[in-house]
Amino acid sequence: MMQIVEILTKNFGPLMSALGVTIKLTVVSLFFATIIGVIFGMFKVSGKKLLKIIADIYIDIIRGTPLMVQVMIIYYGIGQMLRPLGFSWNDYGGSFAAAAVSLSLNAGAYMAEIIRGGIEAVEKGQMEAARSLGLSYGKSMRKIILPQAFRTMLPSIINQFIISLKDTSLVSVISVSELTKRGNIMTANAAGRAMAIWVTIALFYLVICTILSRVAKVLERKVSYGK
Amino acid sequence: MASKIVVKNLKKTFGHLEVLKDINMEVEEGEVVCLIGPSGSGKSTFLRCLNRLENITSGVVMVDGHMMSDKKINLNKIRENIGMVFQHFNLFPHLTVLENVTIAPVELKKMSKAEAKETAMKLLAKVGLEEKADAYPAQLSGGQKQRVAIARALAMNPDIMLFDEPTSALDPEMVGEVLEVMKQLAADGMTMVVVTHEMGFAREVADRVVFMDGGYIVEEGTPEEVFGHPKEERTISFLNKVL
Repeated sequence: MMQIVEILTKNFGPLMSALGVTIKLTVVSLFFATIIGVIFGMFKVSGKKLLKIIADIYIDIIRGTPLMVQVMIIYYGIGQMLRPLGFSWNDYGGSFAAAAVSLSLNAGAYMAEIIRGGIEAVEKGQMEAARSLGLSYGKSMRKIILPQAFRTMLPSIINQFIISLKDTSLVSVISVSELTKRGNIMTANAAGRAMAIWVTIALFYLVICTILSRVAKVLERKVSYGK
Repeated sequence: MASKIVVKNLKKTFGHLEVLKDINMEVEEGEVVCLIGPSGSGKSTFLRCLNRLENITSGVVMVDGHMMSDKKINLNKIRENIGMVFQHFNLFPHLTVLENVTIAPVELKKMSKAEAKETAMKLLAKVGLEEKADAYPAQLSGGQKQRVAIARALAMNPDIMLFDEPTSALDPEMVGEVLEVMKQLAADGMTMVVVTHEMGFAREVADRVVFMDGGYIVEEGTPEEVFGHPKEERTISFLNKVL
């Protein structure tokens, strides 16, 4: 316990900046993941064969491969492949950008499934009622289906947020200076204190995840209507 | 009198299942037609073909002079003119009663928000529910929900109203209040096609009763003809079971 306090005070600055990177990476990735998820989720429920196949391929590839390997492919693989064209990750924000792209694509696939599930959980009669009033498919989706789907999706979305937050630790392998990378650096500099250091790092994750799930509980209560 | 709805040689199949085999029917302006028949006879499917909630397999469905199977028609525009009431109400649970009624006219730019609200309050008064304007559907009884659903359909000021077993999901004591609203609507001259198991309502309100079985229209006529002097064996046996 004393050791943890000591580690915290001694490394306060670096730890806070690492926490900042973790949070920034999570927020950026989830923002794009949500957009990707909505697009591919809509593809899946569109009833258009081609769109559904495109979404299926994307989702299967992401779900069928480890995130770590995806990160490697995007950072080293894409980096190397496009080098002849003059591309370098360093011109676009370095390993942070590669990490954000990987995490967005990864979480996007899971979000797509969550959004598909949420939309399909809305009773079929809702779309029929909306369409029979003369509302277009798009308007019916936006005004009638999605607001209801969102309610059922919310727990799964927050859950995905928590998973993605923890997944950011994996990108320490491409030297993004987030919390886990900071832990690595600290253990290298202070041999024999591995336990205290990693428990400290774990506590950081634990605190943010706990806050997230509390917020989720409040939100869930807020969006239930007329009951 | 002009025909609001013309149906010729309508066929509808789901996979290998032939639900509608050869339906011919016309509905005049202001006419109230009740469709009766055993479950699985195709009544609801037929009704859903009228506003193209189901795409027809072959034949002709014309509503207000529009060929409904034509891919080039503005389906949304035509549907504004055809109100539909469902067995399970299908109210929008995330919207208040008032919002349920105003959403279509407001979203489709038919009225300003204020106008839509005024119209909605009049319609809610008509179905006896103005005091529930700010309630959510979950707070209403089944009969109240269905009356709101009728008000919602009327908000677009349609020429035609389709009712798909509007009282089948209701507790018996709530059937009357919904039928009362429908009677009023019929008296106001609305063109109505009603799929129903309420023989009393059909006898009292319908201009014409159509008995369907096995994907065909077996018999049709005035309530007096169909209920009083049914000619077909299948009609007689059905009516013996339900009356």
